[in-house]
Amino acid sequence: MTLIQFLIVATALFSFGLYGVITRKNAVLVLASVELMLAAVNINLVAFDVYLDDPLNSGQIFTLFTIALAAAEVGIGIAIILMIYRNRQSADVDDLDLMKG
Amino acid sequence: MLNQYYGDYLTVALFIAVGAILVGGAVGASKLLAPKNPGGFKDVAYESGIEPVGGGWNQSHIRYYIFALMFLIFDVEAVFIFPWAITLDAFQAAGRGVFILVEMFLFILILLSGLLYAIRKGVLKWE
Amino acid sequence: MDAIDYHALLPEIILAVTVLATLLVDLFTSRKSFAAITAMIGMFASFVAILTLAFCDNLTFCTSTGDRVLFGGSFVVDGYAIVLQGLFIFAGFIVVLMSVGYLETDRYYEGEFYFLIVSAVLGAAVMASSRDFISMIVALEIVSGSGFLLAGWRKGDARSNEASLKFFIIGVLALALLLFGVSLIYGLTGTQVFSEIAAASSSVEDIALFNLGAIFVLLGFGFKVSAVPFHFWTPDVYEGSPPPVTAWLSVGSKGAGFVGLLSVCYLALPSVTEIWGPVLWLVAALSMTIGNIVAIKQTNVIRLLGYSSIAQAGFMLAPFGAAAATGADLSQTFSATVTYLVIYAVMNLGAFAVVIIVGTRVGSYELERWSGLNTWAPGLALSLAAFFMSLAGIPPLAGWFAKFVMFSATIGVGSWWGYSIAIVAALNAVIALVYYLKVLKSAFFDTVPADLDVATLEAGTVPGPTSFAIGLTAAAVLVLGIFPGLAANLGDFSSDFLATLGL
Repeated sequence: MTLIQFLIVATALFSFGLYGVITRKNAVLVLASVELMLAAVNINLVAFDVYLDDPLNSGQIFTLFTIALAAAEVGIGIAIILMIYRNRQSADVDDLDLMKG
Repeated sequence: MLNQYYGDYLTVALFIAVGAILVGGAVGASKLLAPKNPGGFKDVAYESGIEPVGGGWNQSHIRYYIFALMFLIFDVEAVFIFPWAITLDAFQAAGRGVFILVEMFLFILILLSGLLYAIRKGVLKWE
Repeated sequence: MDAIDYHALLPEIILAVTVLATLLVDLFTSRKSFAAITAMIGMFASFVAILTLAFCDNLTFCTSTGDRVLFGGSFVVDGYAIVLQGLFIFAGFIVVLMSVGYLETDRYYEGEFYFLIVSAVLGAAVMASSRDFISMIVALEIVSGSGFLLAGWRKGDARSNEASLKFFIIGVLALALLLFGVSLIYGLTGTQVFSEIAAASSSVEDIALFNLGAIFVLLGFGFKVSAVPFHFWTPDVYEGSPPPVTAWLSVGSKGAGFVGLLSVCYLALPSVTEIWGPVLWLVAALSMTIGNIVAIKQTNVIRLLGYSSIAQAGFMLAPFGAAAATGADLSQTFSATVTYLVIYAVMNLGAFAVVIIVGTRVGSYELERWSGLNTWAPGLALSLAAFFMSLAGIPPLAGWFAKFVMFSATIGVGSWWGYSIAIVAALNAVIALVYYLKVLKSAFFDTVPADLDVATLEAGTVPGPTSFAIGLTAAAVLVLGIFPGLAANLGDFSSDFLATLGL
């Protein structure tokens, strides 16, 4: 089967996402990068599910849960970013340096 | 068996080495070869482009966000109703149709209590 | 499609109803304290339900005996689940008691606060019972999601905002890493249920990829339990969050991470102890050492407790490291971690309760402002001493027994994996004394700062719920220290089921 192609796409997406989380300064873009990583997980799960012909389809069910979790994460994340933006007019992650030590 | 096992790691090491050479080579070559001539004109928008004014962040009213969020959450939760609908037949055949129906009503009841919260907090008023 | 054992699910059902009730009560009543009362009643009822499960053999109405397995092995109620669910509900109860007095000092949203605390407790309780990756990750996200929001509860405070965003970014990153590892393990074994993964893991085609998946999962949990080198967010988040929330994060959220780590390592991946054993050995040694050394130079008491919790996580991870030895008695190392977690939770909650009271009274969490605490509040100073000495592991307080169990389990494996981590732990137990005693020296032997008015400080009162919380945890710390058999029983009770799995 063509499992390997899906895995390559997923791994590439995951790596792009990880790269974005590490390098991006804007919190919204960090959030977008995390969504890429979660999308990679979804591709992996569905590809494995179809390849293994899982009788319980647990990979696809898991994907539904990841989608719901990702939506909840976005809701929480944007709320937090908005709160910070209101207080300091910036959503730059590098500005978060009030506490040290 | 063991040779094969370590052979796999050799492949990984080879991949990392080739990757490092490729990236290092490309970045290094462009550092060496590219002419450096920074100037103010290079930062100007090209031809018909318009000079950007202000920051990249655009203000939009908070109520759009809250509506979008409400939609997102309820929309995504609907995803759980589809697998439920698919297994409905099997449960009914096993004589547990009422049970599975009540379960879905409980799920929707929990979602509705979230909606109730939003209404009481006045989130859905568009003034 | 068997009938569902509702008794086994009762604690979770009660908590879920409480979550909704807390939210709705706050919507339709004007008195703010109703939400807190609803939350406490719900958690108490849930705790009673857990007791009926624990003593099921002696109760007449209880028909089934032994471990209860539900939903095709995804949800199990055994000794391990019961002990940890009880612990999480106890922790949630204490945190609510602490918050009642604290939230009144500022303009906070109250109803939603208790709603989120009870949600987090529900997530942690489900976590302890879940035996497959789907329910475990959903439960973990209920715990973390409410944690992100609670950390930013002081909306106008830039530090609280910052704590919230840092915690959020680290949390979702950890989730993504964890999920990627899970997807690989699923792909190679074809199942999400831990017991089936353990059975299938010996015949996996691509063992290197399986190990990679395991490493990703360890990485994800490493962030959740704030072990070095994934700890850097911890002190900032702890300092910025409202202190009662910090107490919950250091006990409930971290505890849920440990439950996940225990379940995954011992139930899903017992066949690859040679992978997670050495990794966690290193993580444990680093956490203890770096956590303790950095804690010494902290001047803020909350930050000090943050680093102390990193070091304590190292002590809890030490038995995992010892399990790397071939033929190690896994049920002993498992029960050592559970015992340590239970005792750590109780003493850390107590320490936070005292620290919050003193901090709000003095108006600062800087250690130098706390000097001479003994002169104006001898009772608080005494309980502070009890909790900090317990954290340091001085007999006859509960902390020494936690360390004793940890040492006997690591040495008990009879291999250099165990001896070496025990030596590192012993050195660190001595280093830890330095900073715990530094706080006590300041509280008992230094003079009160000149600008503090002793008369007003003496006049301050401890809110009733908080003093109840302090009393409850102090009693637990004393009782568990003087009668360590109780804690040992809990540990054995929690690890009995491993014997049936042949570990």
